[in-house]
Amino acid sequence: MAPPAQSQRSSSPSQPSGKGEVSDLKSQLRQLAGSRAPGADDSKRELFKKVISYMTIGIDVSSVFGEMVMCSATSDIVLKKMCYLYVGNYAKGNPDLALLTINFLQRDCKDEDPMIRGLALRSLCSLRVANLVEYLVGPLGSGLKDSNSYVRTVAVIGVLKLYHISASTCVDADFPATLKHLMLNDSDTQVVANCLSALQEIWSSGTTTSEEASRERETLLSKPVVYYFLNRIKEFSEWAQCIVLELAAKYVPSDNSEIFDIMNLLEDRLQHANGAVVLATIKVFLHLTLSMTDVHQQVYERIKAPLLTLVSSGSPEQSYAVLSHLHLLVMRAPFIFSSDYKHFYCQYNEPSYVKKLKLEMLTAVANESNTYEIVTELCEYAANVDIPIARESIRAVGKIALQQYDVNAIVDRLLQFLEMEKDYVTAEALVLVKDLLRKYPQWSHDCIAVVGNISSKNVQEPKAKAALIWMLGEYSQDMQDAPYILESLIENWDDEHSAEVRLHLLTAVMKCFFKRPPETQRALGAALAAGLADFHQDVHDRALFYYRLLQYNVTVAERVVNPPKQAVSVFADTQSSEIKDRIFDEFNSLSVVYQKPSYMFTDKEHRGPFEFSDELGNLSIGAESSDTVVPGHRVEANDKDLLLSTAEKEETRGPINNGVYSAPSYDSSLVSLSASQSQPDVAISSPTIPGHAPQSSLAIDDLLGLGVPAAAAPVPSPPPLKLNSKAVLDPSTFQQKWRQLPISLSQEYTVSPQGVGALTTPQALLRHMQTHSIHCIASGGQSPNFKFFFFAQKAEESSSFLIECIINTSSAKAQTKIKADDQSASQAFSSLFQTALSKFGVL
Amino acid sequence: MLQCIFLLSDSGEVMLEKQFSGHRVDRSICAWFWEHAISQGDSSKLQPVIASPTHYLFQILREGITFLACTQVEMPPLMAVEFLCRVADVLSDYLGGLNEDLIKDNFIIVYELLDEMIDNGFPLTTEPNILREMIAPPNIVSKVLSVVTGNSSNVSDTLPSATASCVPWRTTDPKYANNEVYVDLVEEMDAIINRDGVLVKCEIYGEVQVNSHLSGLPDLTLSFKNPSILGDVRFHPCVRFRPWESHQILSFVPPDGQFKLMSYRVRKLKSTPLYVKPQLTSDAGTCRISLLVGIRNDLGKTIDSITVQFQLPPCILSADLSSNHGTVNILSNKMCCWSIGRIPKDKTPSMSGTLVLESGLERLQVFPTFQVGFRIMAVALSGLQIDKLDLKTIPARFYKGFRALTSAGEFEIRS
Repeated sequence: MAPPAQSQRSSSPSQPSGKGEVSDLKSQLRQLAGSRAPGADDSKRELFKKVISYMTIGIDVSSVFGEMVMCSATSDIVLKKMCYLYVGNYAKGNPDLALLTINFLQRDCKDEDPMIRGLALRSLCSLRVANLVEYLVGPLGSGLKDSNSYVRTVAVIGVLKLYHISASTCVDADFPATLKHLMLNDSDTQVVANCLSALQEIWSSGTTTSEEASRERETLLSKPVVYYFLNRIKEFSEWAQCIVLELAAKYVPSDNSEIFDIMNLLEDRLQHANGAVVLATIKVFLHLTLSMTDVHQQVYERIKAPLLTLVSSGSPEQSYAVLSHLHLLVMRAPFIFSSDYKHFYCQYNEPSYVKKLKLEMLTAVANESNTYEIVTELCEYAANVDIPIARESIRAVGKIALQQYDVNAIVDRLLQFLEMEKDYVTAEALVLVKDLLRKYPQWSHDCIAVVGNISSKNVQEPKAKAALIWMLGEYSQDMQDAPYILESLIENWDDEHSAEVRLHLLTAVMKCFFKRPPETQRALGAALAAGLADFHQDVHDRALFYYRLLQYNVTVAERVVNPPKQAVSVFADTQSSEIKDRIFDEFNSLSVVYQKPSYMFTDKEHRGPFEFSDELGNLSIGAESSDTVVPGHRVEANDKDLLLSTAEKEETRGPINNGVYSAPSYDSSLVSLSASQSQPDVAISSPTIPGHAPQSSLAIDDLLGLGVPAAAAPVPSPPPLKLNSKAVLDPSTFQQKWRQLPISLSQEYTVSPQGVGALTTPQALLRHMQTHSIHCIASGGQSPNFKFFFFAQKAEESSSFLIECIINTSSAKAQTKIKADDQSASQAFSSLFQTALSKFGVL
Repeated sequence: MLQCIFLLSDSGEVMLEKQFSGHRVDRSICAWFWEHAISQGDSSKLQPVIASPTHYLFQILREGITFLACTQVEMPPLMAVEFLCRVADVLSDYLGGLNEDLIKDNFIIVYELLDEMIDNGFPLTTEPNILREMIAPPNIVSKVLSVVTGNSSNVSDTLPSATASCVPWRTTDPKYANNEVYVDLVEEMDAIINRDGVLVKCEIYGEVQVNSHLSGLPDLTLSFKNPSILGDVRFHPCVRFRPWESHQILSFVPPDGQFKLMSYRVRKLKSTPLYVKPQLTSDAGTCRISLLVGIRNDLGKTIDSITVQFQLPPCILSADLSSNHGTVNILSNKMCCWSIGRIPKDKTPSMSGTLVLESGLERLQVFPTFQVGFRIMAVALSGLQIDKLDLKTIPARFYKGFRALTSAGEFEIRS
């Protein structure tokens, strides 16, 4: 809510300051109020126009409220509209005055012109003054029964407005039920569509009793209702179609033939002129076919053309919104788009945010057959006027080089960049050549020849300078004057502002020294001296470390500083696949444009009115479910947990291991419990978890050397979680729940080597999990990829947990997504699940 | 759903504000937005979807006017952007253009329109035909009419029945003395020619625009001689899908007046009507530029309004350009425009000159991209041809007409 002073600030100085004019208006309006002279309406119009224009530019004209209301007795519809607008704007701030308007609005609600009835009803509902709601019920009730569809359309939205002012009044008047009846029976599609959106909002907002609300939500998503809408979809306006499609995307069909029926019915929506309809349809298609891999792929093929057309037609704003979605799909399935790479070529006039998306897509779709063309195109951008894009495109060339096996041609291109004599081009290219050499050391010969020609004076950017220095150190045996370049760099030590560069310089000169001692000795001495005197702590420490290392033993120093390296095979990916999946689940929403799942940028209370699942439950649960968001400070805590749990693992597994498995497997178990576990204590402090907790907590206490008995765990333990060993759930219920519930936890951990060994068929794991009261509902896959859907139920109540678990045996990783009726217990359940999984193959 | 729409002038002033929900959006968001826009430099380079500290903002820019919508809840971004585009279209249709004065003069109309187009944040009616029945456009005719008849209301007494009809895009029963329907093929050619003179991408985006003035409920069918060349197609809601799917025939009951019946794409074209050959040679701090433009293959139709535009790279201090045909202008922002018009019979238009580089630069390293514009009347370059247009029951006086026009879209030549 704005302080009025702020809203006045935006009025420009040339505008009247208000005071005098407003009082003028006031007196003029007063004179006209009772007048029935022939020209009165026209002069009223002029005055009203002035009032509204003052209001528009931010001058407070609430003082003429009384006069405006007095003047509103007219048959002129434009005058009425202006008056409604004025009243709607100021009523909330002046509840007492608003009472004055009720009378004439109520009278207008009974006017014989349906347009006036509708407009009056809309204004009446837009007053939003809490103590006037009693006056709304009557007009709304008759509005819903009006013979004219326009009035009914307005009335339906009016009910929603009333609901937001006073939910209880709305429910007491039984309006939701009336809306439901209208929704299923009205002949006008706009009325029906408004009913749908109003009901969705009413049943998903927090104030309704959750039992009834969830039942109503289920009704909205039931087969008859969804089919009723889908069958009539062509009669709806384009915007209403979007709302219907949004509903359909949430519907869970019972079998495959139903899925195909829906897709056949909706196929022509893909050719609609309105992009919003097309995108909403695409969302339905993608979500329906998630579980059918081959059909899902066909859907990609089918939606490709409409998406690409949407991108190239329409305004730049529209094409950006579509492009963001296309970007998401391209990243998920680059191979499907690999023949359409030309659509991702950048046009000169496009804004840079569009170009950036396109560059990323070009990078993603590059494969053996099109790399040459794509790289040629990217190289043209390097000479682009837009410098950030030029940089970005060079980076893209580098990324393609790193993901391809046949890099011959690309390396040549990169080397050409080095010769382009543009400082930023050289800088980017240097960084790339460095990465390339780390992955493909066999190219060192060609690259070094070119890099050697670059004068270090032309390289200014710290990143590029560091890359150049790294290469000088790494390949000093192949570069004639490496020691001398390093020496001259060291001479300018004091002018070097970046600590990163100085660190690299120290290391490089060390490496150079091991290869060509006589030439480098002097430089090394100078570097170490400068480093020791450096004010930067890291630089100083590294210099000292090297110095002592050399003092101790030169061969040892060489082993430490310059050991033989393995080529890097995979560079770390920036965005985890889990996040990408989340964004995909939120297709056709803001998440896609921001490239972040909604939990990363929305507060809970602001998530959409249609996010049914997130509105479930009470506050305490809310706090729990938001745990999936890992804020910065918590990450640290997690790291500690991580170490603890590793220790525990090692301890428990020790005796069985028999030393067969080498060190790396322990390393990997380090990651095993890494996921966002905010309550690792759950597993430890609940003693009822069968066969696991006692010894593990002891192990930890021992390690910590605290000697505290296990019972005194620092965190108040949640009630122990017991699972029903005879739980039952039929597949369709599972599917429906899976669709409706939000993901409450999603984790990735490492499967123990024993587990990997035992997982030859899915059945092996099923039997194992069953002994832990976790049942399987579906499973599939072949080595190395297995996919499972598990479920479990609490022992005392019927609250259930649903788990999707994907295990890749070659990387020994298991990805799980847990959904739960009772989200507060999902953490506890997750630990239980994890424990069960970690025992797989061990026993 | 949307909470609020603001219309901002090109100086960032709030011209209009329309709130949709109980949560009023404060105007200070506009100030935030404007500062953000300024910090990004060119406001046309601003992203259409922005997250402000309190709201998600959708913005589009039309003729210097920013349409800004705010919301706090999740919603399909394309829906918001599409809706804003629709608002801009309807306003410019109603006011006969878009600019600050027009909006300020007619703000009442704008309020009325927004009132009908969206309620509580849900888009309702955006069909111009239906809106026109509810709110009369502010034209001279209606002004004269109101003076003559003394009826000052600019709205019809009855509601459009189309809101309840099953043909929502059509007003009921218009009557015309002359029944006319005109079909235009309007195409834009997008092409990229790379540094080596190779055509790397060439496609056509086309629209079938129809202007219909027919009495009653006319049922039209339109067919093409060669529908197979069409890539992806999109239709106005009036087009029936079955006939298109089985026989590639467009069968529809048209809205009254001008509308876009269908849009299509034709991909992988092999040639362009024009060639443009740039040549840049650098030597010792100067760069010689020469540019040739000519007709590649004669279409038998004249190519009109040919222009070549390019942005000089920032490293160029001065430029001296001249041409043997047409005029060359260098604007203050280093944009060069060479307007050629038609290509003369006797010579090939060429432009040449020298560019002086920044001191210290030997060669040109950043090369300009040439953007070409042209228009060809009476030709659809994609080769699409209309076969025939039929009306189910032919009225007394019935005229139909076909036209075609191809112009350059994003047609660029890199050097």
